[in-house]
Amino acid sequence: MSTENGKGMIQLEGVSKWFGDFQALNAVDLAVDRQEVVVVCGPSGSGKSTMIRCINRLEKHDQGRIVVDGIELSDDLRNIQEIRREVGMVFQQFNLFPHLTVLDNVTLAPRQVRRWNKAKANEKAMEHLRRVRIPEQAHKYPLQLSGGQQQRVAIARALAMEPKIMLFDEATSALDPEMIKEVLDVMEELAESGMTMIVVTHEMGFARAVARRMVFMAEGEIVEVGTPEHFFTNPREERTKQFLSQIL
Amino acid sequence: MATRIDTLEPIPAPERPPQRRLSPREWARENLFGSWLDTVLTVVFGLVVAWLVYRLGKFVFVDARWEIIERNITNLMVSRFPRDELWRVWAALLVLGPSLGFGAGSAAAARRREAEEGRAAVVPERASALRRLGPLLLLVGVLLWFAQSFQATLLTLAVGVLGVAGYLLGRRVALSGRRTALVVLLGIAAAYVVVTGFGGVGWEDWGGFMLTILLAVGGILLAFPFGVLLALGRRSSLPVVRAVCVAYIELFRGVPLIAVLFMGAFMIGFLLPAGVERPSLVTRALIALVLFTAAYVAEIVRGGLQGVPAGQVEAAQALGLSHFRITTRIVLPQALRTVIPGLVGQFISLFKDTSLVAIIGLTELLNVSRNITAQPDFIAQGLIVETLLFAAFVYWTGAYWMSRESQRLERRLGLGER
Ligand SMILES: Nc1ncnc2c1ncn2[C@@H]1O[C@H](COP(=O)(O)OP(=O)(O)OP(=O)(O)O)[C@@H](O)[C@H]1O
Ligand SMILES: [Mg+2]
Repeated sequence: MSTENGKGMIQLEGVSKWFGDFQALNAVDLAVDRQEVVVVCGPSGSGKSTMIRCINRLEKHDQGRIVVDGIELSDDLRNIQEIRREVGMVFQQFNLFPHLTVLDNVTLAPRQVRRWNKAKANEKAMEHLRRVRIPEQAHKYPLQLSGGQQQRVAIARALAMEPKIMLFDEATSALDPEMIKEVLDVMEELAESGMTMIVVTHEMGFARAVARRMVFMAEGEIVEVGTPEHFFTNPREERTKQFLSQIL
Repeated sequence: MATRIDTLEPIPAPERPPQRRLSPREWARENLFGSWLDTVLTVVFGLVVAWLVYRLGKFVFVDARWEIIERNITNLMVSRFPRDELWRVWAALLVLGPSLGFGAGSAAAARRREAEEGRAAVVPERASALRRLGPLLLLVGVLLWFAQSFQATLLTLAVGVLGVAGYLLGRRVALSGRRTALVVLLGIAAAYVVVTGFGGVGWEDWGGFMLTILLAVGGILLAFPFGVLLALGRRSSLPVVRAVCVAYIELFRGVPLIAVLFMGAFMIGFLLPAGVERPSLVTRALIALVLFTAAYVAEIVRGGLQGVPAGQVEAAQALGLSHFRITTRIVLPQALRTVIPGLVGQFISLFKDTSLVAIIGLTELLNVSRNITAQPDFIAQGLIVETLLFAAFVYWTGAYWMSRESQRLERRLGLGER
């Protein structure tokens, strides 16, 4: 399927989401271009995770429209699967499969979903593991690796499906300080290679270096959007200023 | 074999903390006679244990009249199974030995490979192979001792030799886990066909220990998948499926096994439409055991399913895996690992509970050991103690072996290390 309007990769239009009576997202609009890197930040509970989890239907939005690479997200299971194939996700807690080796973690989805044969899946998996610089750990189990290594495996696992979009939900928040850089380096390289990315993070150094646009969320709404330069030097909104003063 | 793309350095053996060596004397002083209370307890319990061991030992080795077992060993093993078809049982054992041996060998090879690749703890295997089979070897030894038959000893040795040959072959060939399981299952199926097929003896005519094994192994093989399905059904998103599973589980967990066995014996016939042949009593007993055990398996597995973090499912969903694949590849493997101890406990119960089928008239091991005391040569001589002791010993070796294997499996899968 081709895109409707040229270079748009993800469109959120008036997306709202409730957990019971609590509104977690309030009419969120966001458009992400092909190859664009968007960094999302905001205080805890502001709906950052909820927003990106709606994009691959880990959460179901209640109102509005979400279009991914020209496919509108609907309740149809096949439609959801199609979108999930194009969207990779990296979680704060890595969520590697502990009963599978690193290599099997990476090859599972390509073999089951993309129906690649074992040889091809293994070869591609090793490519991705080299890309995240841990090919030598391929035959170990996830729990035998350090946190930073595990998160890089998680990135390789997502990349192995050859997605067009990568979502990162606080990928470095659960890591010890000395391991954060090795993961951010991998993410930065990925951004340079032209991957479309939405990154939820509080690593402002990374944001400054990599983001094309910054999105600031609070209380389920997108409060401010702008280039990093604008965002860090003279934010418009009072809430943004306040948040930045706390975090920088 | 998994492709080895990298070259791993061999991993040095982990250093062990220095061990404090105690002489037996020091050990005793520290553990048995540490205080005056310890001393009193040690002496009292020592005397009680010594007295019990003495009485039991005296009975087993001096007073007991084991000729009732010796004369009835075939009855105890197969009961009403036709004697001129007994060769089929031996033939089946000659098939089972090598295929089970092959399975064990192939699994051992896979484990060794894992250890060599540095992904699993190295378990010293060689010495423990004999120890692992200890309880079973003890059982076989005792049975042969009672049988006092040159032929039986020879055939048993042949089974053993073929088993070892299968083991060595298995280590050589080293199939993948799934193929190994297939070979073992094929072996079991072939052994079954050897006994029942081609004019053989259907299981309605099995008896004794052989029937016990049939009910236990058949019960485990059927109740396990059924129970897993029930556990999954209980978490289904379809309310009807969920309700049916919950109702089933709660119903069968609320009824004693004896009642289920009686219902199986007398009601399955009613429930079938007219004209359909009524299954044999053995089949009905097996169905009852499976229905009952599955409900417990379901509850045990449910505990395991609940322990799998939501993040695992989310990560799999995000990768685009289907619901079915997520269940079979991600959730179940992790859930089942954690519930191995509970499952094995349930299977040990099932093994022992097969003795309850005696009350619906099946002649399994325990029933035979009661019946033989009524033989003209032995009646009214109080030999029930000998026969019950024998039956208890047979059950104990089986149950103890299962329990030890489960502990090993647990250790190997590194439970509690997370
Ligand atoms: N499954 C759920 N059930 C009920 N409430 C939820 C659920 N998931 C999230 N929420 C609520 O929705 C709000 C937004 O949550 P979300 O996880 O999106 O925040 P966040 O911006 O990612 O915060 P953090 O920085 O702490 O990760 C929070 O108030 C949270 O309590
Ligand atoms: Mg979050």
